[in-house]
Amino acid sequence: MNTLLSHYKYVFQLQLLRNGGFLVFMALIQILIAIGIVIGLTYLIPDPDSSSILYLATGAPTLILIFTGLVILPQQIGTAKADRYLEYMKTWPINRSVILGADTTLWLIITIPGIVVSSIVAHFMFHPGYDVSWTVVPALLMIALTSIGVGYGFSYLLSPIASLAISQVTVFGALMFSPVNFPMERLPEWLQLLHEVLPIHSMAEIMRASLAASTFTANIGNYINLGIWCILGFGGAMYILNKR
Amino acid sequence: MILEVDRVTKRFTRRGKTDKVANDNLSFAIEEGEIFGLLGQNGAGKTTLVNQILGLLTPDDGDIRLLGKSVIQSPSLARSICSVQPQSQVSLGLLTPKQAVTLMGKMRAGKQFDPKRVDMLFEALNMEEWANIEGEKLSGGARRLTTFCMAVIVPGKLVILDEPTNDVDPVRRRYLWQVIRELTNDGTSVILVTHNVVEAEKAVDRVAILHEGKLITQGTPSEVKSSVHNQMRMEVNLLKEFDEMEMPKWMLSSHRQGSRLLFAIDQSKVSSTIDWVRGQVEKGFVMDYTLSPSTIEDVYIELTSGKEAMQ
Repeated sequence: MNTLLSHYKYVFQLQLLRNGGFLVFMALIQILIAIGIVIGLTYLIPDPDSSSILYLATGAPTLILIFTGLVILPQQIGTAKADRYLEYMKTWPINRSVILGADTTLWLIITIPGIVVSSIVAHFMFHPGYDVSWTVVPALLMIALTSIGVGYGFSYLLSPIASLAISQVTVFGALMFSPVNFPMERLPEWLQLLHEVLPIHSMAEIMRASLAASTFTANIGNYINLGIWCILGFGGAMYILNKR
Repeated sequence: MILEVDRVTKRFTRRGKTDKVANDNLSFAIEEGEIFGLLGQNGAGKTTLVNQILGLLTPDDGDIRLLGKSVIQSPSLARSICSVQPQSQVSLGLLTPKQAVTLMGKMRAGKQFDPKRVDMLFEALNMEEWANIEGEKLSGGARRLTTFCMAVIVPGKLVILDEPTNDVDPVRRRYLWQVIRELTNDGTSVILVTHNVVEAEKAVDRVAILHEGKLITQGTPSEVKSSVHNQMRMEVNLLKEFDEMEMPKWMLSSHRQGSRLLFAIDQSKVSSTIDWVRGQVEKGFVMDYTLSPSTIEDVYIELTSGKEAMQ
């Protein structure tokens, strides 16, 4: 256990120092994107009512987590595959879950400034009616881990080109065709069915239920959905890492 | 015995069909403190073999044992016994050589890690000036030396170096060989994977030549060279087309790469060969030439491609 912890510490330091500039840059971009979603979408809807505003303000953090796990992370893995850094890490004398754990921590950390800053900005600009519950910490963790896990799963499994394609579709799909910034009922029936299976809707529901606890609730199905995707993602990534 | 490779075969298949036999029934062993050269052209199967020793790939047939234990059964053991310098450049990003090497040392040795060894290594390789510069600003040679240090800072029982001298300047290459030799004083064994045969000859205790997945010869450099024992090698740089030139009849084997022609002769034919080559220089076929005792490279060429070229 002690070696596992010290390995984790050294891999974390190695990855943090190696990618330091990129990570700071990404954290800043996240802040801009999150504020952009809240403010930008109010231009799209000329006279948003308080319910629309609340949807936008509670949707932005979910989108940040989706972008990080399903868009930025797969691109980073694609680069690591192309310059054979991933292969090099596989020769290290450590348990491979340590690599996954250390990297996941880094990805988690870069999402926090964006989520915090955008929520504060949204609060003072629009007073959307946040009602933050204690569940916000486990909810954030669960959503982030699912998103990161699924991102790892498909970017390890697929070729860099295929995973780039998926992440491009995800950006557009999550922003425009997913019930993150608006209620599920607005979508056509087939998309609703699809979102019952995909993790995006459950992420959004769980996030809303903890940021505006008096307005929204998440059901147990949402938690189960995320749990399954999270296990599938990390499980798949571990399988690929240990495959020979 | 540190490493035993026992009748290892690895095939790569595509759509159910065998595409390529990368390693074909390979067997060899490496003793403690030995530097073992694994030579071969690009695509000969060297890296595939290394990846199997590390447990990153599983052989289709045969077994690989490190310190008597099968790598196939415990692949993670292989990674704690071996430390590796990969053939490809490792992108260090913002890591400085000092940070990268120190963290790698801590990862391998934990609390027993001695940070002084980093300075000693950097001094031995004359790379102190780069110690605190971010990796992405360093030259290819400096980065290559950094990954070398990452592999040997806390060497496992077996250090695998895949083309360690690529991009490294001639002066530091010498220091590098020195460091490699010192490693073996503590009982560490080294596998040196390279296609730079001339350089390897001076450095290794034993050598094996891999060609199209098969080991075509192995032994000490002098054993391997015994087949060319009484021979000399002539290296000629051509100015014109090879076909127009009349070749000496006493030529034993030959090989041509672009404008570089290599052939072997018996020691008794030295003076006739010099007469011949002077004639070719006068006719304008040849730019310059070198005559020297045979090296492993000649064996390598004779065993791999020389025969077809001669007949």
